[in-house]
Amino acid sequence: MVKLLSKIGAFFRNVVVLKWAVQFIFLGGLIALIFNYLNIAVGNLANTNIAFSWGFLGETPGVSIAEGLYTLPKSGLQMLQTGMLNMLRITVTGIVAATFFGTILGIARLSNNYIVEKTATSLLEVVRNVPLLVQILFFQALILSLPRLEVYDVGSVLFHASSKGVALSWPNRQDGAWMFMLYFLITIYISNRVYKQRVKLLEEEGRETKPFLWSFSALIILLAAGWFGGYRIVGIIGFVSGFISQGLELLPGLFYQALLSILAGYFSFRSVRKQIQSKRSGELQGKYSDDDYFKMIITIVIALIFIALMFAPVGQGIAKFLVGDEPTFKSDWGLPQFFGGISNALDWSITGTPYELNMAEIQQVGTTKFKRYSNEVGKSLTVGYFATWMGVVIYTAIFISEIVRAGIMAVSKGQSEAGLSLGLRRSALLRLIVLPQAVRIMLPPMGNQYLNLAKNTSLGIAVGFPEVVAVGQTLYNQEGQTLPVFLIWMIFFSTVSLTLSSIVNYYNRKLKIVER
Amino acid sequence: MSIIEAKDVKKWFGDFQALKGISMEIQEGEVLVVCGPSGSGKSTFIRCINRLEQHQEGSIIVDGIELTNDIKNIEAIRSEVGMVFQSFNLFPHLTVLQNITLAPIWVRKKSKSDSEVKAMELLERVGIPEQAHKFPGQLSGGQQQRVAIARALAMEPKIMLFDEPTSALDPEMIKEVLDVMKELAKSGMTMIVVTHEMGFAKEVADRVMLFDDGLMVEENTPNEFFDNPKNDRTKLFLSQIL
Amino acid sequence: MMNIDLKKQTRVIKENLFSSPVSTLLTFLTSYIMISFFRGMFGFATAPDKDWLSVLNNMQLYMVQAYPESDFIRIWICVGLGFIFSGLSVGLWETGEKTSLSKLCLTFSKIIFGIIFLTLIAPTTSVIVSTATGIREQVDVFSYAERIPLLSILLGLLVVFFLLSKINLNFNKSFLVSIYLFVPIVFLWLMKIPTIKLDAENQRVFPDPLMPIANSTKIPWTLIWMSFVAAYLIGIYFKNKKQFKTAVSISWVLLPLLIFSWIFKKPLIDLNELIRNDIPVFIGFLLVGVLTIYFINNKIVEKFYGYYLGLLVIVTLASLFLKVILLVKAGLLLLLLFSVIIPAVSTSAKGKRSLTIVWIVSLTTTAFLLEGGTSTTQIVVPGSSIFGGFSLTWLLAIFGTYVSFPLGVLLALGRNSSLPIIKGVCTGIIELVRSVPYITWLFFASVTMAVFLPDGVEFNLIVRVLIVTAFFSGAYFAENIRGGLQSIPKGQFEAADAIGMNTVQKTSLIVLPQALRAIVPTLVSSIITGFKDSSLVTIIGLFDFLTIGRMVIGNQSIPINFIGHDRENLLFIALVYWIFTFTLSRRSMKFEKRLGLGER
Repeated sequence: MVKLLSKIGAFFRNVVVLKWAVQFIFLGGLIALIFNYLNIAVGNLANTNIAFSWGFLGETPGVSIAEGLYTLPKSGLQMLQTGMLNMLRITVTGIVAATFFGTILGIARLSNNYIVEKTATSLLEVVRNVPLLVQILFFQALILSLPRLEVYDVGSVLFHASSKGVALSWPNRQDGAWMFMLYFLITIYISNRVYKQRVKLLEEEGRETKPFLWSFSALIILLAAGWFGGYRIVGIIGFVSGFISQGLELLPGLFYQALLSILAGYFSFRSVRKQIQSKRSGELQGKYSDDDYFKMIITIVIALIFIALMFAPVGQGIAKFLVGDEPTFKSDWGLPQFFGGISNALDWSITGTPYELNMAEIQQVGTTKFKRYSNEVGKSLTVGYFATWMGVVIYTAIFISEIVRAGIMAVSKGQSEAGLSLGLRRSALLRLIVLPQAVRIMLPPMGNQYLNLAKNTSLGIAVGFPEVVAVGQTLYNQEGQTLPVFLIWMIFFSTVSLTLSSIVNYYNRKLKIVER
Repeated sequence: MSIIEAKDVKKWFGDFQALKGISMEIQEGEVLVVCGPSGSGKSTFIRCINRLEQHQEGSIIVDGIELTNDIKNIEAIRSEVGMVFQSFNLFPHLTVLQNITLAPIWVRKKSKSDSEVKAMELLERVGIPEQAHKFPGQLSGGQQQRVAIARALAMEPKIMLFDEPTSALDPEMIKEVLDVMKELAKSGMTMIVVTHEMGFAKEVADRVMLFDDGLMVEENTPNEFFDNPKNDRTKLFLSQIL
Repeated sequence: MMNIDLKKQTRVIKENLFSSPVSTLLTFLTSYIMISFFRGMFGFATAPDKDWLSVLNNMQLYMVQAYPESDFIRIWICVGLGFIFSGLSVGLWETGEKTSLSKLCLTFSKIIFGIIFLTLIAPTTSVIVSTATGIREQVDVFSYAERIPLLSILLGLLVVFFLLSKINLNFNKSFLVSIYLFVPIVFLWLMKIPTIKLDAENQRVFPDPLMPIANSTKIPWTLIWMSFVAAYLIGIYFKNKKQFKTAVSISWVLLPLLIFSWIFKKPLIDLNELIRNDIPVFIGFLLVGVLTIYFINNKIVEKFYGYYLGLLVIVTLASLFLKVILLVKAGLLLLLLFSVIIPAVSTSAKGKRSLTIVWIVSLTTTAFLLEGGTSTTQIVVPGSSIFGGFSLTWLLAIFGTYVSFPLGVLLALGRNSSLPIIKGVCTGIIELVRSVPYITWLFFASVTMAVFLPDGVEFNLIVRVLIVTAFFSGAYFAENIRGGLQSIPKGQFEAADAIGMNTVQKTSLIVLPQALRAIVPTLVSSIITGFKDSSLVTIIGLFDFLTIGRMVIGNQSIPINFIGHDRENLLFIALVYWIFTFTLSRRSMKFEKRLGLGER
């Protein structure tokens, strides 16, 4: 008896047992806690007669959106899509602009010129220490204090600002714009290849091959050819996507459920196999620790949960979305529609210049006394868009300028001296020594700032810019479904964050390889 | 009766096998010097003795207690085995005195005043009582290592492990640490010392061992080891190091 | 002599401004932009269509929203306490750095030169564009004739400062703070400000009559300044008392709690309840604690220490889920915390005595603060809470930090743990919380959280926002602290293992002290972030500082028309936020430097 007791005692004093006991108690407690709150939530929702449901995604919300893809959305999903696109629009353009201004400001802060340096520094101190929301509201107030658009005459203008917003002259997209854009990316790739090829030649044969001149002329020639109709060559891709789209339309939703399940199974199998093999090299065989077993088990469990979810209503919903189930979501974002859209945009038969430079235009709204900026020619920015964009860009640019400054300062000390002592010219020094290293230091914090920018666009809600949070709020005010909307926000922002950080990580890794 | 008894100890790091079966015995009061090239598993082995690393096969018995996963055994062994590290590992946020009294107060549950008296005695013994109220960052490397020895001794261990105690020190500081270790050895402490200081091994050690590639290649008295090595590996090692 | 100096100056100017054609161009361009920006701002601020009285007249609203005037003495006490403790701290931690009058005069002269320059370049007219008609109208705002008296005063001041700088007088640098505070106090007594006055028909009288500042403002500020100076002197006197410094440091942590639970709130204490429940519970805990301190190291009792601790853990955990008064839960937690450290410390008579004092003080403080915190307030204010305006902004910033800090520590420890499940869960929480913008969490607090609360439990919106803020900034804290944790070398853990410490001891004695020291600067910067981010609560309709200026004042129509005067208010809000964040960040930079000096 005593022996048995001491054995039990010894069992519970075993560090491995203790370690896992603590963790499972923790996990059990956590699950109990979550279950408890979910239970309460279910009870509360039952009391208020708003059962948790995704049905609102298919229902017509009956509200209009100030700007974006669908201004009169037919379904909740379309409404959210509009908000998401608006948010992405501001994020992408904002990132480009903030990087540009931030770099200039950062260099200005390193300037030898006293006035330039002090001006940049005071701008930094002002912007950094005022809440972003106040700045956005200030830009809104600034625009709203301009005269009303109605006091101006109808007609074309180079640039215009009124309490309705801002309008600029702009190269407007024509039918061939999407094709040209794709063509443009291909040309950049080609000219990059040319550059690398010439550099390789230079290194191998040791003669001057003028890589930059070659790639630049390739770019110019290809672009010129593309501008005057050559871009139609990418119509091949549209042709292929047309077939793909037709093929995809035949597939049932079950196919996607099965496909995703198989993928999950495959990846978990691969990861387990990798873990097993990592402990085996040659005739020596490593021992598996309890952590290794745990990792394998958890991989399998996660895969199983994922597969189970794929055949639960969640998976059916995803499949319906991918199939492009028109009656359910009234959305045309399914996979067949996606490829169909590509085949429409990339069509052989499109002709004409891809972009046309237009002046902004002030128009009469129908026969009323109200006026508006034209959406077709020039670029019109609403008050909400303008205020959010300005606020977010300037705020982020300031933080980027700090990163740029720190990055350049971190390199330039000994490194540039070493470069100069090798006889490099200033431009070569900057290009070959300082910038590659500075960019590597700058990239990770830059990525953080991009994420912040993406999240900060949600402040647009305060100035009536219909981005995803504002749209979501309107939606749950209509339907009362706060929890699903919150989940959608979470999934959307996580996806954006993940995408951004994986792009940054990709370049980070690439630069690291270059370094070696 | 031997105070440490290791039998066929094996240890893997992932798929790399660091220890390929080490067996040894140490008697009470014995001073054992372990040497060998880097990556030979000598540090891993002595770290296994107080469970900083976990051996996966074989058995280690310290003072009659087997080193298993039982937390009680681990605690018991750790409080009987003191350890001195290559990089000192003093706690930088505590004064020298606090560094030494920390374990007696919190692990041995002794009173603060008693521990401080004891700590001052130990500092006296390692020759730096005047540094008691300084922070580790204000001391030289040799002084820091002597504080580390005092910290280990404060737990009144039966066995002391030294993991290359002089490798991170400037040459002029090595002597002051070795002197303390010699004094400790003469006082009858059981010691296992991983070191490249062959002078120390000749003068103090009762036995010398050579590790190579996870195996114990040679075990001998110092005189035999240095003057008459049996193994070719030992000869090569000695020719490189002397 | 003068000649060489001039040459050197010219060279410096040339090097800094005109070193190359591009530099010269940049100099002129930037100067032009800066000057036109200033002229624009000046024109904006002085244009006659701006009514700055919409800011000045609403100061009270800005600071405390609708806090009843009859209880203003409470607010003055809060502000006064803040100043008294600042004074004490300035005195206690003064570095003894000296500065001279001539240096001070030089600084002031520079400022006056700046003002003279700005006065000279200020525009004479301002353009008003009518929103309705688009007609531009030029108005005279600052004619040259008006500038002459101002300029002569400034020049006179310059002469005064020049003469003063000849006097050889040295004083402590920290003494400057009292001087800087003295200047506005003097202005309070001398200055007259335009005030809104209504005639018999409830119409505003133009132009606004100049009135001296009311005694209800002047006298409290003067008293506060006097107590600040007194506290400063006391601080200097006790400079070398270490206990005094510790007491002040702890007071800084407790002060906001005291202010918000007892002074600002005016708690309604149910005496009956107090005598029947709280006092017996308090005495009970007091006795148990003292008994534990004196008998835990007794030979016979010692054996049962493990059982005692286990029982305490179970009772404490159970109490968290049971319906008992809050004091029992808090008392049990405190007792548990004490019981863990008692055996190690209460080994001598001296240790026992000091432990008893610490126990009594901490239990009393906890009980006292809880009593105030849980009671209902007697101050009746329309709206959801008595906190509003600037007091709400600070409440959110300070309490957000309070709650999020420990949470961040726990999450960071979890994420750094070697236990895979705990690590995974903590990583998941941190990443999930951080992936979504703060505003969505605020919406979660305002609309979604109610769904998860059991029947009958209802939290005030402010409390819900605080909970969400705690998690949000806790996740950010956790990442900072994790950086601190990762900076601790592996050898530290090994050394702690080797001397036989267990996980709890390792974490609390070795790991956290080192990690936290590394993140003190981030602590300040996240208070700043919390302060700035608190402005977002305006979107979910809380009456914070920003909401008052943006929504409330813009809607004041009767009897004074402030509709459409939101730009002045926004500018004012931005200025106030700027002053606070800027000074805080400057202070923290100095503090950091001092930490770096003291550390070795």
